[in-house]
Amino acid sequence: MNWSRRKRMPRMFVIFAAIVLPSFFLQIFAQNPEFRPVNDLSAFKKKFTTESAKVQSITSDFIQEKTLAALTEKITSTGRFWFKRNNRVRIEYQKPFTYLMIMNGDKMSVRDNEKENTIEVKSNRLFRQVNRIMIDCVQGTILDSKDFTSKVFENDHLYLLEMTPTAKSLREFFQTILLIVEKKDYSVKSIEMNEPAGDKTIISFKNKRLNEQVADTVFAL
Amino acid sequence: MNRSRIPFLLFSISWLCSGCSSDYRYMQSVESRPDCIAKLAPVQFETSWYHASVDVVGNHISGLLLIKNMPDSSYRIVFTNEAGVTFFDFGFSREGTFAVYNVIHKLDKGPVIHTLQQDFELILGLPFRNASYKTWIMNDEVFYGTRQKNGTSYFITTKDCASLRRLELGSARKRKTTVEVTGQGYPRPEKIELRHYVFDMRIKLTRFDKE
Repeated sequence: MNWSRRKRMPRMFVIFAAIVLPSFFLQIFAQNPEFRPVNDLSAFKKKFTTESAKVQSITSDFIQEKTLAALTEKITSTGRFWFKRNNRVRIEYQKPFTYLMIMNGDKMSVRDNEKENTIEVKSNRLFRQVNRIMIDCVQGTILDSKDFTSKVFENDHLYLLEMTPTAKSLREFFQTILLIVEKKDYSVKSIEMNEPAGDKTIISFKNKRLNEQVADTVFAL
Repeated sequence: MNRSRIPFLLFSISWLCSGCSSDYRYMQSVESRPDCIAKLAPVQFETSWYHASVDVVGNHISGLLLIKNMPDSSYRIVFTNEAGVTFFDFGFSREGTFAVYNVIHKLDKGPVIHTLQQDFELILGLPFRNASYKTWIMNDEVFYGTRQKNGTSYFITTKDCASLRRLELGSARKRKTTVEVTGQGYPRPEKIELRHYVFDMRIKLTRFDKE
């Protein structure tokens, strides 16, 4: 494994960030047979961009469910998520383990039970890619991203964005990423990450609060 | 020879000698105690989830590790990051045969997989299943050793067989890897720390109960 040096972006963390952060930013889903293709994709893109631009902050609980298909094992973890413009994110896993990731401008901090690492964002090509994906998400332009090919579906209450990675570095980990976006406020309801071997992870957001006051200290590194 | 250099030379020779001396040189062969083997040999491992912390030559990574005891008595070992992305899925059959079910490209290197295979063999106590032992005593510890292709695997107990001290893989002269268990022990260890002595690598596992 290419174990990245401390104080630089660990590769696995970059991959973690590349997949999880965009989903949080998109504010988010599960495949549903009632979904039908969106007829006017350009209108959806425009609306998605407009509505995303209105989000200054997000505070939310999340539930993450990982299913290991071959082993019939499932593990559920819960935590809290914060976002504040620009480029400030805090993802805090609280149960059944603790893990904290903070992104603040050009720096990121990761803390597990044993260690805390602070990382310079600019030092890593993959992370620049992550940054771009994040910005695409914040600006609601993720559907224009070259890292994914996307299809958009809808039912009466939700949009479904089916994203297929084009980058080799992402294709190894994900077959598809499915986002569910609520029509009422264009916030993300859930993300489903499907792996090539059949395992899947679903992150669902609960108690979302948009544009509430979030203290800068939440993102202190 | 310059006399002033002699003390330095003697010091260097003694230091070098100590460097090549065997970690097992003071072991004395003793009779095995079948009751102690039956009591403390780590031959079972129950399904558990762990938070894993790995340090390798100055690099750090963490994630979740599932060790699953399958119905056919085989084991599966799956490592994911905290967000759920699978990095590897290894297996050991009931007979101990190793299999790679899934591994990401970055980890798919012979030496990496071989090291992890040896590490998990020791953690799971596979060398001690149906093993024949030779027994030694050194200081206040009893070494129950069984020969492997890559050296000798030991489970090491207190002199009175009250508790398991650690597991160890060693060559003829040198300790290569140790596994220490704290808190609740086998078959469902609470905390496991694996340490390599040939190169700088540690794996720390802390068990958690899934929700």
